[in-house]
Amino acid sequence: MLATPLYNCDYDRVYEPAEDSFLLLDSLESELSFLRSIFEKDNYFPIILEIGCGSGIVTTFLHQHAIPTNKGLYLPVDINPWAIDATLQTIKKNPPTKDLQTTTIVDPLLMDLVAGLKSNSVDLLVFNPPYVPAEAVPNLPPGTNDEGWLDLALLGGEDGLVVTNKLLNNLHNILSPKGVAYILFCARNKPQEIQLRMEGHGWKVDLIEKRKAGWEVLSVYKFQKIKTNF
Amino acid sequence: MKFITTNFLKCPIKTCDVSNDNYPLQYNGEKCELQQENIEYKPEFLIKILDRLDWEAVLSVAQDLGNTSLPSNKPQILDDGVEKDAILRDLHTLLLQTNIVEGEMKCKNCGHVYYIKNSIPNLLLPPHLA
Ligand SMILES: C[S@@+](CC[C@H](N)C(=O)[O-])C[C@H]1O[C@@H](n2cnc3c(N)ncnc32)[C@H](O)[C@@H]1O
Ligand SMILES: [Zn+2]
Repeated sequence: MLATPLYNCDYDRVYEPAEDSFLLLDSLESELSFLRSIFEKDNYFPIILEIGCGSGIVTTFLHQHAIPTNKGLYLPVDINPWAIDATLQTIKKNPPTKDLQTTTIVDPLLMDLVAGLKSNSVDLLVFNPPYVPAEAVPNLPPGTNDEGWLDLALLGGEDGLVVTNKLLNNLHNILSPKGVAYILFCARNKPQEIQLRMEGHGWKVDLIEKRKAGWEVLSVYKFQKIKTNF
Repeated sequence: MKFITTNFLKCPIKTCDVSNDNYPLQYNGEKCELQQENIEYKPEFLIKILDRLDWEAVLSVAQDLGNTSLPSNKPQILDDGVEKDAILRDLHTLLLQTNIVEGEMKCKNCGHVYYIKNSIPNLLLPPHLA
């Protein structure tokens, strides 16, 4: 088992790693040989995007263990400036070991989903979204020091899917031709329906891990573009 | 942020997507404060990094920041000549080691200005533009 990064942030402002975070880490670990088989070849230099990095635990895990390979540009993104600070610190606390011989850059970005990202650039996308069903997706707090950052980490509007759907509906513009996305869902998001819908739009969708966590059932799905030969 | 990341950033305003001027952003050379960070030089990786980059955009941002010494065409796969090695070393310094610590960048289409503070670019939009 790969080591979990050390982390320590201000959990009044930044999402504290929980069952969902750990399920995502386990999923990525179980996908390790698949990811290496795609990205280790030919010294390919991948772009790794994590949306909603929070404490930074997921990006740090990838970076620390040379996933998907020992080089690449890691772009952790969050709308919460405290999360960006926390991610920088978590990355610093957990450097990759020397024997992995990594050449990597980690550049955190303050951004809403992928709004400022050049299209079709992302090779590995990871997202543990705000997935809890709620009246609405909350607005950004007016000031950095105001309350409300944690609500943004959790509340996903109708069916808990408003933020995730924005991403899924645009996924074909985000991923590179090699691109793979891992996204976390809870049962109330009805992930099987999403799977069918995305398969209907030409995606290959696989369930990677599923686990009961308290009263929630969490799952991680993998999305890949189906290659079409015209 | 490192110079290489500028190659992946566009204006986040949706309506700018129809224009060709939303990428790359235009960096304000006078306001940008640069720092060099040490990263191990691996020429074999650098060639692969070049594969992923839009060379026009590299040239544009380099020029914004006062570097006009780059070749106008993307350096091709090499026959490890000394000269090629010099180009790759320059690119290593520029792309991977140059950190924009403070600064600002503007969309050439809509003119909106985005700021870099403590090395972090802020591409969030005010509510009326989001
Ligand atoms: C459930 S937390 C996950 C945090 C961390 N990745 C983990 O697994 O522990 C969701 C994160 O997404 C961020 N977030 C919510 N909406 C976002 C958006 N539109 N764009 C970018 N990040 C967003 C939140 O600030 C929060 O940090
Ligand atoms: Zn613009």
